[in-house]
Amino acid sequence: MSSRSQRVNTGINSLVRRLLVKIPGEEPAAVEERESSAVDFVREILESSDSPAVVADVNQASDLIKKRLLQTNPSPEKALRFTNLYSRLLSIPVITQKWAVLYFLYQLSDHQQRTPPILTSPFKSPIKRRRNIEDVIPGSPNYGAKRNDDIPAEAFAPEGLKKLPEREGGQRDRKEEEQAFAKSAATQREGVALKTALLAENYVEIDPPETALLRDLPFTLQGLSSSHLPFSSELTLKLPSTLPVPIISILHTLAEPSLLYRGLASFIQSPGGGLLGQSLRAAIGGELRSYLGLVATLEGQIRRALASLDEREPRGGIGKAGVTLKRCVVWTREATMGLRLMSLISEESKSKKGGQLISLIHGFSSSHGDPMVGAFAERLLVHVTRPFYDMLRQWIYDGELSDPYHEFFVSEQDPNAINDTPDARNRGGASSVWEDKYKLNEDMVPTIITQDFAQKVFLIGKSLNFIRYGCGDSQWVEEYSKAASKELRYGDTATLETWIDEAYKTTMARLIHLMSEKFHLFEHLKALKNYILLGQGDFIALLMESLSSNLDRPAGAQYRHTLTAQLEHAIRGSNAQYDSPEVLRRLDARMLQLSHGDIGWDCFTLEYKIDAPVDVVVTEWGNRQYLKVFNFLWRIKRVEFALASTWRKCMTGSRGVLQGEDENVTKAWKLTRGVLAEMIHFIGQLQYYILFEVIESSWDELQTAIHKEGCTLDDLIKAHTKYLNAITHKGLLGAKKKHHGEVDENTFMVQLGEILRLMLSYRDAVDGLYSWSVSDFTKRQGADVRNDVQNRRDDDDVLINTPATTRRGPRHLPDSTPALGIDDSIVDEFPVLQERLQALGAHFKSRVCLLLGDLAYQPDVDMRFLGVVMNFNDVYQPVRKKSSRPAGREQGRSSARA
Amino acid sequence: MPGDESKQDKQASAAQARQVIDVFQEISTLLNADLDRQTLSICISLIENGVNPEALATVVRELRKDAEETKRDLQSGGQ
Repeated sequence: MSSRSQRVNTGINSLVRRLLVKIPGEEPAAVEERESSAVDFVREILESSDSPAVVADVNQASDLIKKRLLQTNPSPEKALRFTNLYSRLLSIPVITQKWAVLYFLYQLSDHQQRTPPILTSPFKSPIKRRRNIEDVIPGSPNYGAKRNDDIPAEAFAPEGLKKLPEREGGQRDRKEEEQAFAKSAATQREGVALKTALLAENYVEIDPPETALLRDLPFTLQGLSSSHLPFSSELTLKLPSTLPVPIISILHTLAEPSLLYRGLASFIQSPGGGLLGQSLRAAIGGELRSYLGLVATLEGQIRRALASLDEREPRGGIGKAGVTLKRCVVWTREATMGLRLMSLISEESKSKKGGQLISLIHGFSSSHGDPMVGAFAERLLVHVTRPFYDMLRQWIYDGELSDPYHEFFVSEQDPNAINDTPDARNRGGASSVWEDKYKLNEDMVPTIITQDFAQKVFLIGKSLNFIRYGCGDSQWVEEYSKAASKELRYGDTATLETWIDEAYKTTMARLIHLMSEKFHLFEHLKALKNYILLGQGDFIALLMESLSSNLDRPAGAQYRHTLTAQLEHAIRGSNAQYDSPEVLRRLDARMLQLSHGDIGWDCFTLEYKIDAPVDVVVTEWGNRQYLKVFNFLWRIKRVEFALASTWRKCMTGSRGVLQGEDENVTKAWKLTRGVLAEMIHFIGQLQYYILFEVIESSWDELQTAIHKEGCTLDDLIKAHTKYLNAITHKGLLGAKKKHHGEVDENTFMVQLGEILRLMLSYRDAVDGLYSWSVSDFTKRQGADVRNDVQNRRDDDDVLINTPATTRRGPRHLPDSTPALGIDDSIVDEFPVLQERLQALGAHFKSRVCLLLGDLAYQPDVDMRFLGVVMNFNDVYQPVRKKSSRPAGREQGRSSARA
Repeated sequence: MPGDESKQDKQASAAQARQVIDVFQEISTLLNADLDRQTLSICISLIENGVNPEALATVVRELRKDAEETKRDLQSGGQ
């Protein structure tokens, strides 16, 4: 180091020696003294500024030089040469501080060109010129101090820099360029210098003088009235009318920041609407403070300049002072931009709040073309978003909405208002804590976060809130919020995102865990499928068997205690007894609302009670769907049960009581059995389809959906809704036919209901036929006992012709006169029964054909499959139109099939 | 021989230094900086040793002005 400073010292010495002029005849001692004082001075200056004022950049220095050369020379020749030299220089490795040397040379050339305009001005008197020189070249020792005054922008720059960072970089460059431009222009065209000088000479004094205006300017910039520039009202600045137009226009430019400042100052005093509004005001207040700092430095400059003014100069010597109105315009230009932007924001913020406000400012920072505006808005955003991030933090870590001014993009819903929304009406007025307590307000989502992200945030908070209030696990929430809570702020979007993702995962996992472990959601779903969707076959069979005699009675005669007793019996008697009591205790049997003429079958229903947190998934709507499906399945089951018992009766009967010789009766029975088998086939296929193709496959989908990794409660709810929809739709409960105008008549539900009713009446008719056959049989038995072989031969005759039998019958039954009436009725009944059976069977077939016709054109594959299964051997001819032909034509074929 | 090598190195670097100064001098003439070769090399060495170029420029300017003044004084004194 010492060698270095030594080298510097010797360098300084030799430099001084080279540049000092020898005064002939001076004493050696004096020479020595002069030399040493010069050396001291040089060292002082060099030491006082040890850090370079410009950025150490080779390219910048070379650019400056190139620019200078281009400006001073009309031809680009010199600049070209410089470029060559410069590239050569770069290739030489010896020197490390190339830029510094270049910059040094640049500065020196600077000096060379600064002097000419003053010196060559022909209009200056020698005295004036001399004074100029004295002005420019003051005593050496205090020159350094003076120099600082000469370049006020430099002293001013660091202050301004700190306040308004957009000016960074630009400031110094621009200053250099301005100087360069002014000076080169002056040298290049001496005419301009001449004009300047002329102007300076023939300067018209203005009233008030520029110095006075300058003195008032700082006050004006702060929005205060001054003697020359009073504010006449809130938003008007009165300019003195005596001023010439150019000065007026300059003052106009200067008035802009003043007026903007006044407007903004009153804006930040106004009461803010909401936390974000307040923080916006605070942020703007901060910016205004730095603006005032700028004004203060400006004022300092003006004071100093005015103090050093030479009154004898033209224009009060203001041209030399370095501070003029024009310069003030330049210095306040960028601040004006900032003020303009802020007043724009403050104007627009009046109609906006919360997230929209952030979106507004973020719009400036992200999509405005001017990088300065962008940076400025970005800076504002940091302050403005603070309350927003506070709310966000509370929401995602505590699940609490602390939003007194409704600025957050999540809002709490008024429970009374919920029922009025169309969405709620779709679900039949069922309100749920999960769905309706909070609402995501899309308009309020600020653009700094994406919609996806907002959705996530919304879910996190909602889940936490739900865990706390719905699941009663506030302890976990508190622990979690203590452990995970972090300070969120604008800027580091990536970290924020990871934090939120983390929070999202934790909360969702916790919620699912609670749902499955504490509230047994999955068990409940399984139980619903087993009991309500008739998955547990043995239980249902037993229940139906034990209830059947009871349910045949009218609905009014059903009593809850019998039902529950039978339910209990069915549970005890089947595998259901091994199910957990948690599930079984929720199972209940009850009657639906009675309507006149209903019998027990129509009203009976099983119910599975779902309580608080789980009803988020199995909603009231879901319950109703389950009920619907249950009732439908129960009806099918009941028809199946009835048909099966009748079939059994027929089968056992055909071995005994139904054996008769009458061909007519045998044929009738044969046809009946055919139709009955058809019906059983139909029911069997329908049941198979619903239980296996519909319920089981949907159940499988539900299982995969809810056991997926990272499944959220929303996913669960969605999957469950989809499951129910699939069941009701494919299970022919909800699908509407689109081909016809009338809606009600054409649903599969209605069609199936009709078919099932037909089956029941058919079965009644079959029962009637059976009892007729039985009574006929007993009658014949009785006749057999009483009459001899001859009589039996008569009977054979009779069987060929039934009316004959009836006519003869009573004659051969001597003992019972009352039996006469019965006999008559029996004889009369058979054709009626036969006719009725035929009509019902035909009706049934036509109905089935219609149904198949509809099924064949369903978009859903499974439903088409049902049609194919039912009609696997093309017995039925599917009919598309509602107006079907009489089904008599098919009679032969269907009986052949049976 | 290491001595020879170092000598050669020195010679090479000296040649390079001369080249640098040549280049800089040409630039200075382009810019009208009005520096003779010796002053320039002194300044370059100063800057190489960490002196602030801006300050150095001021110093040079100052010294020149001083010199001019003394010259003028001398002339006026001589008349």
